[in-house]
Parts: sequence; structure tokens; C-alpha cells
Amino acid sequence: MIKKTKILFLSFSILIIALILQLGYLFNTKSLTNTQIQKKQDFVSISQMPDLAISTTASYIRNRSLSDTFLIYKDDPTLREYFPSTFTYSQGIK
Amino acid sequence: MFKINLHLIEYAINTILRSKTKNIFITTIITLLVFLLSSIFLISNSIKYELNQTVDSLPQIIVQNLKGGKSYDIKTKVANEILEIAGVADAIPRVWGYYYFQKAGVNFSLIGIDQYEMKYKNSLTKVAQSFNLEGESMVVGTGVQKTLQNNYYDKYFNFIKPDGGFKKIDIGGVFDGDTQLESNDVIVMSNDNLREILDMRSSRATDIVVKVNNPEEIPMIASKIKAKYPNMRVVTNEDLKISYANIFDYKSGIFLALSLIALFTFFIIIYDKASGLSSEEKKEIGILKSIGWKTDDVLKEKFIEGSIISLFAYMAGIILSFVFVYIFQAPGIRLIFEGFSVLKTTFELPFVFDMQTLSLIFFITVPIYIAATIVPSWRTATLDADEVIR
Repeated sequence: MIKKTKILFLSFSILIIALILQLGYLFNTKSLTNTQIQKKQDFVSISQMPDLAISTTASYIRNRSLSDTFLIYKDDPTLREYFPSTFTYSQGIK
Repeated sequence: MFKINLHLIEYAINTILRSKTKNIFITTIITLLVFLLSSIFLISNSIKYELNQTVDSLPQIIVQNLKGGKSYDIKTKVANEILEIAGVADAIPRVWGYYYFQKAGVNFSLIGIDQYEMKYKNSLTKVAQSFNLEGESMVVGTGVQKTLQNNYYDKYFNFIKPDGGFKKIDIGGVFDGDTQLESNDVIVMSNDNLREILDMRSSRATDIVVKVNNPEEIPMIASKIKAKYPNMRVVTNEDLKISYANIFDYKSGIFLALSLIALFTFFIIIYDKASGLSSEEKKEIGILKSIGWKTDDVLKEKFIEGSIISLFAYMAGIILSFVFVYIFQAPGIRLIFEGFSVLKTTFELPFVFDMQTLSLIFFITVPIYIAATIVPSWRTATLDADEVIR
């Protein structure tokens, strides 16, 4: 076996080992534990609300699956009616 | 028995090294492509996984009153009428709504619960570290707590009622950080307090949640409710699941469109390789054949060549995307899925090992690249050696 072949096999082995180690590490540290899942389920059974709280600027995004068909046009509280275009943002009012 | 011919491997390595720059470029492009595609799928899978963990705890049927295209308060007595439908286990009028806190520019989700129901007390102890719902108090999510603290509301909050007055509610507890993805913007308080803030009479509710004994009967009961109240919107948990799928297919679609450029480059390389060999490569195959290589050997060598490059790039891309998504938490790309929210959650993407995604990406890169290496060589290798060299 020449040196180049050895290097090739070595680099492939390194990649495979790295992948396996990485999967093991992620599985042990980053996956959801049963208690976490249980807590989430408990919370949802209290709140009974679908969708995740990842976007809360407008209500049609937060509980998108429950919102109205036309909410997108009027619901965001920063939107103000504005004649030449359909709407404008009220940036200054806080 | 299949035996690995080391000499063929050595030859393949040398062929790759002979056009080093070109092969490094190809490897980089495939790595980048695999990296991009798998990052998108990993993020959307993780968020989908989060949602699907809780989908079974959701109400089976939600009934909402529609008026002029908007959802409107529903009469609580409708719940009693729904209860008469055979198969319905429970129908509970629910009070919830949004509260826009103008100072911070965020929407809070206000959810009312029946203060005296024991069921809630038991479940609340599990998800909130300390809580108190007696009298005028509420349990808030960590995001709400942070926003309120930034605005100097440490112990209580003054809600502005629709009639312009104020309603002071004490912060009685905070939800566990583990539920942040679900509870970040949520405020839970008693139905009575919430009715006052939302200006809702006690004979009205936001919507009605229906529980069904046999999950198989959900579509049937939903259609019965729909027939009884044609003006109402009936949402089943199956609809919610479909809606989740839509959100993420749409969002991963946006990003897939962006990564089309990488895909396009990849297919140009494939096209370039598949459309024919350069005269030098043809000559090489001719010489190999004239010194006694069989077509079979040439193809094996080309197979090894293609495999080395594509497998290397595939594995490197996958490893990089795992690091990027789960260790660095996908800076940049994650925003596409999260949206631009004022009330940011600080959740970690949970690790999900999805063999299906990995094999999908494998099959759109590795075999295609190997085929693009073998096919033109096979076309040349089947010709006579003297014809090829000449």
C-alpha cells in the first residue's frame, strides 16, 4: 500500500469516527429528555394553544392555525392605515 | 468474492491528484451543497419535532364563531349543545386573546383557566416553579417576565382594559425554562380576570374546545358540529398537523430556492462531466485498454474515483452541518424559521437523528456524481483502443 492510499484510508476513517463521535455527543447532550417532553406536554395541556412562541410580533403568526383569513391585512398593531399605499408602520409611537 | 483492488485505488488517487484544482473545486461545491441542504432540513426537522411532541396534547376539536370573516366571541351555551352530540366527552368554553404591549412592541398571549379546577393546579405545579393564582395574579412565560422587567414591572402589571381603565395583576409565578418554546409569550390567569381585560361577558367565550372519546370519530363529530352551526369554523387536530406541515414546507421551500444556486452549480459540473471526456481523458482510457485493461477495470477505477470525491464531500458536509446547526445553533439560517420577533426565545434546537433526510441528501448527490463519472468513461471504454487513441 502506497503512502497516498494510506492517507486516503486514514482521512476516511477520521471522517467516520468524527461523525460517530459527533452523533453520540449530540444524542447525549442536545436531544430532548423525557422530562422536558413531559413538561412541554403538560404545559400545552394547560394552555391548549397550538404553535410555538417563536414569532410574536403579530398574532396571525403565533397561533397561525387559529387565526382569521384576513388577519394578515390588519392585525399587526404597528400597522396604520395610510391612503396612497395599503398600510404604513408606526415607528415613532412607543 | 469481491476483493478490493488496491492498485485500482492507487491509480484513482493519482488520477484525482493529476487535476488537483478541478477536483478540489468539485469537492468544495458538493460539500457546500450537502451542508446547505442538510442544515435546512435539520433545522426544520428539529422545530417540526418540537411541535409534534405536543400535538397530541392539543384539543381534538376547536369551534370558533365567525362573523364578517373575523372570529367572534362564542356563546358559552353552545358548549352544552355540543355536549349533546353522541361521542363528545367534553366541551369547554375557553377564554384567550392577545394583548399588545405597545411600549415593547410585543403581543402577549393571554390564556384563562378555571381557577378552582384541581386539574390545572396539579399540572401547573409541574410546569411552573412557584405559582400563585389566587386573587389577582398570573403566571407568565420567561419572555414576558423579561419584557416586563425591562419596563420596570417587577411584581405586577397594569393591563389597559378596552374601556381605557387599568387592571392591576400581580406576577404570581414564572413558567419553567424548559417550556420556553411554548410558554415564552404566554400569560395564564383566571378566567374572571381575563374576561375583565378582554371585556367579555361571562356568557361568552373565545372558542370552545371539544374532547372526543374515540379519536376515530373526530372527523365525524367535526362534520356534525359544522352541520349544526354552519357559521362556525371547526378546526380538528388533524388540521393543525397539516398546518404545521405547511408552515415548514413553505419555509424550507424558501431556503431551498436560495440553495438552488448551489444545486445549479452542482448540476453544471454533472453536465460538464456527463457530456463527454476531454481528449486527454479519452487518450488515457485508450492507453489503459491497449496495455490490457478490460472495460470492467476502467469502469471500476472510475467508480472508485467518483466515490472518493463524492463520499468525502458528503461526509464532510454532514459533519459541518451538524456542528453548524446543533453546536452553533445555526446563526443566520435559523432566523428564517423563527421569524423576526421582538420577544425572542432562547431555545436550543433539539437534536433529531433523521435517517430519511440524510439518505435523501445522499441520493441526490453521491450516486448522481458517480454516475456522471462512469457514464462517459463507459462510452469511451467500449470503443476499440486504437479508435480512441487516434
